[in-house]
Amino acid sequence: MAGVRVRELRKEFPGGDPPVVAIEDISFTVDGQEFVSVVGPSGCGKSTLLNILSGIDTATRGQVDITQNGRPARLGYVFQSARLLPWRSVLDNLLFVQPARGPADRERCRRYLDMVRLGHTAGQYPGQLSGGMQQRVGIARAFSIEPDLLLMDEPFSHLDAITARSLRRELHDLWQETRKTVLFVTHDVSEAVELSTRILMLAPGGRLVADLPVRLPFPRDPAADEVALARADLLRRFESLDLLAG
Amino acid sequence: MSRARTLVRDTGERWRRWAWRLAGYAVFLGAWQGVSTFLVEGFVVPPPRAILTEMGGIVASGQVWIHFGATLRTIAIGFAVAYALGAAAGMLMGRSRWWEAFLSDWVLATLTTPGLIFALVAAMIFGLGPAGPVAAVIVTSFSYVAVNVVEGVKAVPHELVDMARAFGRGPAPVVRHIYLPFLAPYLFTAVRYGFSIAWKIATLSEVIVGTAGIGFMMRQKFQEFSMTGFLAWVLLFFAFALFLERVVVQRGMRRVLRWRVTAAVR
Repeated sequence: MAGVRVRELRKEFPGGDPPVVAIEDISFTVDGQEFVSVVGPSGCGKSTLLNILSGIDTATRGQVDITQNGRPARLGYVFQSARLLPWRSVLDNLLFVQPARGPADRERCRRYLDMVRLGHTAGQYPGQLSGGMQQRVGIARAFSIEPDLLLMDEPFSHLDAITARSLRRELHDLWQETRKTVLFVTHDVSEAVELSTRILMLAPGGRLVADLPVRLPFPRDPAADEVALARADLLRRFESLDLLAG
Repeated sequence: MSRARTLVRDTGERWRRWAWRLAGYAVFLGAWQGVSTFLVEGFVVPPPRAILTEMGGIVASGQVWIHFGATLRTIAIGFAVAYALGAAAGMLMGRSRWWEAFLSDWVLATLTTPGLIFALVAAMIFGLGPAGPVAAVIVTSFSYVAVNVVEGVKAVPHELVDMARAFGRGPAPVVRHIYLPFLAPYLFTAVRYGFSIAWKIATLSEVIVGTAGIGFMMRQKFQEFSMTGFLAWVLLFFAFALFLERVVVQRGMRRVLRWRVTAAVR
């Protein structure tokens, strides 16, 4: 399984004097099969971190090493919004990213659409689907290339609470089934506690302030006492750092 | 709403639109007939029937193909060159502020200068023959294409381009599967406006220096003071432009943009 090693990673945006620091010299590792959440308030550099890991953005300095058995790992990405091509059918949207995996395989794409219960929409355009369904297509697209590492950037933040909860369950089931290494960005502490095996706490200015294992058995009921306690503990840590004030 | 009811509503809507369109033609032709019969002499404003007879004669004699052929050749060559140059300039201007600074004033100048000026300049440079009209078409329609492409390129959704990059797709599939489909409506608008300008300038140039073509025939009928002949060519021109718009451009647009229509009826 893919491993992620990040060493002294720094990202500055020029324009200010001094430049705006989005990520401040952070280091961490993620091992195979882990589900790691990066949690922090808005503007603390969470999405910038994922963009650097995926190659969309570049770091000012530092090292990122994402490998799978010594070769560069295959990455899947689920964005905040589904980012589907509106002029292509649902199935074609999955086929569009297949060269990342190898030759296009329609059957594999259909299988992952079935896994998110959207097999029947294969021939439809994204505009014909609801926001929640579009996001499920985005998840199926990322899983369909069978990535070594899955990057997820607040994938449920644009959805209503009921749809988000149902998609969290689906994501957890998919992760249990495939055991992909996942790096999941969220500002929702409850979501992080419900899904993760580990939580990285990011503070404004892109500082990594804590690296906490979540030792609770799956499946986790958000209403259960131990989950509520873990959530409260995490929130207290954030409050003690005065992170939520702004 | 059920599919059947939507279909019935759409069919009714279509019939109503056609009825209004035909009513528009009927009122226009009736007014024309009235003016021709009661207000002015028939040789100044000939009745519609006389024009139709003249149009039939032009078609039957084969003249229509010779002169439409000449004008279409001018437009095809001129507009193809203008489209290629305009699309390239639009791409450069949309993606680079340096190229935008380099080209934008020239594009604006050609956009705001009356086409007649380019027709006259081309006539003075190239003299009689087809080269002048082709040059005038290139200069005038170039800017219409460029302006539309610039707008499209500036509006390309970068989040989709980033998505493609995150999944390792290179520049060629990004252009083919993101840029081109997104730019399609802008490219169609460029065709629509650029082509209509090309028609006008081609005909105008032919009136001035043409030795064949629709404009040339209009000049000939003007010199003969044959209002019937003149209007017959005008209406043939109108019919052809309408055919291009309704059958070629609009159908092409519907085909390429069917994802929008499908999404809109969900």
